[in-house]
Amino acid sequence: MPYREKTAWLSLLAMAMVFIPYFTWATLHPPGPEIPNLSQMAIYACASLSWAVILGIGHLLLRWSSPFEAKLSMDERDIAIAHKARGYAYGVLITGMILVGGVMPFTNGGWEIANTAFFMIVLAECVFYANVVRSYRRQLG
Amino acid sequence: MNGAISNNIRTLRFMHGEMSQAELGLRIGLTRQTIAAIEAGKYAPSLEAAFRIADVFNVSLAEVFQWDASAPNSQA
Repeated sequence: MPYREKTAWLSLLAMAMVFIPYFTWATLHPPGPEIPNLSQMAIYACASLSWAVILGIGHLLLRWSSPFEAKLSMDERDIAIAHKARGYAYGVLITGMILVGGVMPFTNGGWEIANTAFFMIVLAECVFYANVVRSYRRQLG
Repeated sequence: MNGAISNNIRTLRFMHGEMSQAELGLRIGLTRQTIAAIEAGKYAPSLEAAFRIADVFNVSLAEVFQWDASAPNSQA
């Protein structure tokens, strides 16, 4: 399996481990309107920190298990795959930002907007890494 | 749209002492997986990479890559 595919799987795994529980919790227990909502901010910070720690440990393990591949820079196919995947992710992200910045301020407020923005960013990242994995699986460029 | 690039890289590697995909990749700055994708006709390399491959085998570009206008496109 190409090193870039491994790192894409790692990113997908890290997001699934952290953000599925986070958004499930945020949906089942909508944050209150009080400002500042410190408990919600603490959960938000914990989720982000956990994601960064899982990614950091995962990258260290991958570098340790494949030191030669880790040192190689992206070749033209890696760049082409990333470029194509970024195009799909951009579509998701811009749709989310139109929703969050252009629609939700008239109907929602506070943490609903913040969590929706956060969700759309995570979704765009998922679309990016899923397309990277798909391209490597199908040997596309 | 029909049309696909075919290649003789597998044969040329065989004729050059069973050169591995990894070795070929290392010599032209591509990964083993990219060489495998090119060989399988799943990825069309850049013109520069194509020339580099031909240069490794000391043959012309046309001896490595051929254009088959009637073949179905295998890249999606």
